[in-house]
Amino acid sequence: MDRRNFLKQVAVWSGGVLLVEPVFRITPDLLAAETVSPLLSVGVGKNYANLVASVLQPLGGMAAFVKPGDQVVIKPNIGWDRAPEQAANTHPEIVKAVAELAILAGAKKVLVFDRTCNEERRCYMNSGIKPALDSIGGRQIQCSYVDERKFVPVTIEKGRSINKWSFYKDALEADCYINIPVAKHHGLSRLTLGLKNTMGVIGGNRGKIHRNMGQNLADLNTVIRADLTIIDATRILLRNGPQGGSTRDVKVLDTIVASSDPVAADAYATTLFGLRPEEIDSTRAAAEMGLGEMRLNKIDIRMV
Amino acid sequence: MFKITLRTFRKLSQLFFLALFFLLFRLTDYSGLDEIPYAVNIFFRWDPLVAATVLLSAKVLVSLLLPSLFVIALTMVFGRVFCGWICPMGTLLDGTGKVIHAPAQSGQSLRSVKYVLLGIILVSSLFGLQLVGYLDPFSLLVRGFTLAVDPVFNLLVTGFFDPLYRYAPQWLSNISEPVYGVLQDSVLPYKQTFFQLSTLSGCVLLAIFALEKLEKRFWCRNLCPLGALLAIFSRFSIFRRFPKQACKGCRDCAPNCRMNAFDSDGRQLRHEECTLCMDCVDDCVNQPSRFRFAVPNSPMQIDMSRRSFIGAGLAGITLPLLSKVDAAHTLPRPFLLRPPGAADGNEFFSRCVRCGECMKVCIQNALQPCFLESGYEGMFTPRLIPRLGYCEFNCTLCGQVCPTGAIGRLSQSEKHSFVIGRAVFDPARCLPFADQSPCIVCEEHCPTYDKAIKFQEVTVVNRQGKSVALKQPYIIPELCIGCGICENKCPLPGDSAVRVVRAGKQSEEDGFGY
Ligand code: SF4
Ligand code: SF4
Repeated sequence: MDRRNFLKQVAVWSGGVLLVEPVFRITPDLLAAETVSPLLSVGVGKNYANLVASVLQPLGGMAAFVKPGDQVVIKPNIGWDRAPEQAANTHPEIVKAVAELAILAGAKKVLVFDRTCNEERRCYMNSGIKPALDSIGGRQIQCSYVDERKFVPVTIEKGRSINKWSFYKDALEADCYINIPVAKHHGLSRLTLGLKNTMGVIGGNRGKIHRNMGQNLADLNTVIRADLTIIDATRILLRNGPQGGSTRDVKVLDTIVASSDPVAADAYATTLFGLRPEEIDSTRAAAEMGLGEMRLNKIDIRMV
Repeated sequence: MFKITLRTFRKLSQLFFLALFFLLFRLTDYSGLDEIPYAVNIFFRWDPLVAATVLLSAKVLVSLLLPSLFVIALTMVFGRVFCGWICPMGTLLDGTGKVIHAPAQSGQSLRSVKYVLLGIILVSSLFGLQLVGYLDPFSLLVRGFTLAVDPVFNLLVTGFFDPLYRYAPQWLSNISEPVYGVLQDSVLPYKQTFFQLSTLSGCVLLAIFALEKLEKRFWCRNLCPLGALLAIFSRFSIFRRFPKQACKGCRDCAPNCRMNAFDSDGRQLRHEECTLCMDCVDDCVNQPSRFRFAVPNSPMQIDMSRRSFIGAGLAGITLPLLSKVDAAHTLPRPFLLRPPGAADGNEFFSRCVRCGECMKVCIQNALQPCFLESGYEGMFTPRLIPRLGYCEFNCTLCGQVCPTGAIGRLSQSEKHSFVIGRAVFDPARCLPFADQSPCIVCEEHCPTYDKAIKFQEVTVVNRQGKSVALKQPYIIPELCIGCGICENKCPLPGDSAVRVVRAGKQSEEDGFGY
């Protein structure tokens, strides 16, 4: 069963009165499906709204991902009570631009959320993301706090390290899931990029993920494999990640990386820190599981 | 037919202040701004009892409490209008009395008890023991609502909508969810909170309302020390009820008085008991009585014998002495953390009026009431329990709502370096030490700049005999402020492998901590 079939399940589920919570077994057939070299696009520019649009061009624009009437989930990193210039969260202008493009492409609804580490209202506010999205207006975009009731248990059949965890229903149900992490340093995993950003849609005691982080993240991404990954490297946090705290650790790159292959996106973004893709455990584990391509020479990189 | 009488105005005023009270209670929360834009603690700031006890016990004039002078002035002119027209506790009791048909008279008068209680509170606060929190009506009310009523209310409403969301057919939850959303945006608290002592606080509040079964406004007549204080000031009031000469002494009004303020002959009022509810004026068939301004002629009698006066004084001296020899104060309490910005040791105790505002506002539900950890007089003072909720690095709300300065107002940068305590690792439990497995969730969450939690990269041989590379965390004490996020997020079950212990000024005083 893949994510799209999940909708049916939900219909059945909420149609009848059930007393036990159902368990969803999700095993995407996508694994190891892509044989052609994945497309990846990189852009540099000061105007982030334009930059997002131009980076998506080589990939076919937003229309290649969002179909009219789609329910779209945009998953930025809103983890910390930090200001945009501190580079701990995804830049609000990028989140806004992606949301606007999704609406333009005909999305019926755009849901934006993250399970934060600091207090959620402070994070949504001070990251600038909620104010930015609220400024768009309209009822299509919902930037709401995570609702604990929406975490549903999922059996991760392809999982090598974890085989059960709860996931956010909205993320599972999305017609199009767009991951927009910010690229930054992380004490344990060295970097946090797209695959790590998936931790924002899972429930439970997330600290446990750290025990075998690389493989665990790859396992989680077999359930939620982003349709599109847009990595915000407009400013990157070089030290004291993942929440930083001082602009002294921040380097402005004005760069955005986008790909439909989450592993390729992470692999390329790693090089922005002067590291090699295989140095990041989650990238390596995900590539091994066939979630995507991490060999840079096998990726079709387009600079815009 | 509905007639607009003086009573109507009194009721409107009561409703207005009750609504204000609930509105401010709701607004005692993070609003999206770092500063709370309203004086949400105003009910404490105009409470003369709070002002008096803080002045006596901390020996400081807290400028935040100056509005209490206004209530004193009001009382000196109009008598106890505060009790009849403003006090939300009085209003709620009136409401309860209506519902449970409180009798107006019980046949016995316990009036003097409130003066004794007031005496004990004032005298003991002069000797540095702050007891006002046990009996101040707003402390009881805000604390009771924060610790018990509000969480239970949320639980009830959620308990209704949750099953609808989870198990009801789609069409039904399509209706119920928007309704729930509206409630969440209006009357419900932002999230479910959990408190220590919720049962005790709830029962205390319940008991006060249950006393209404004995007689109308039992609490106000007999127990409320604020009422007693206002009664004393109302001696000088010049706005009083005077029966006209025409009054035949039918005494219809006297038995219905909610404060039982009439003399035994039923004509004269004890002005210090009268809350100016206007019932007797409105109900009088001949309208022969009215309120007007006049110089008081009848000397007032405070219902307090010399003996109980002395008794109150002695109790007020003894209680502080007893508390001095309470071992709770000499026992080291390594995990008893106070809110950020809290005054040191004794000053904190003498300023805190146990109002619960800080616990209400705390966005992480981290501030919890003490039980007996710091002696019986420390009960309901706030403590930070990181395993329940950590202190949010950029938040300064508790200092903003504390009406007495027990928790000082900190700017964000002062807050960033205020030492609540210091974290200490327990390597016997910490995963990279004890289990040879990677973790450092604590390091990830440490908010200080530079991080107070750093790690060492080591290679160790694990239980399977494999050599593994690990990152083992350690603390830089000078950088740690004891916010407790590490203790909170540690993924171990039960106790955290990193715990915050008292440090900074609080611990210097009890000679403990590091
Ligand atoms: S204890 Fe910390 S989080 Fe709670 S209100 Fe005070 S400053 Fe805010
Ligand atoms: S410390 Fe808390 S309970 Fe004590 S007076 Fe201040 S706000 Fe009220």
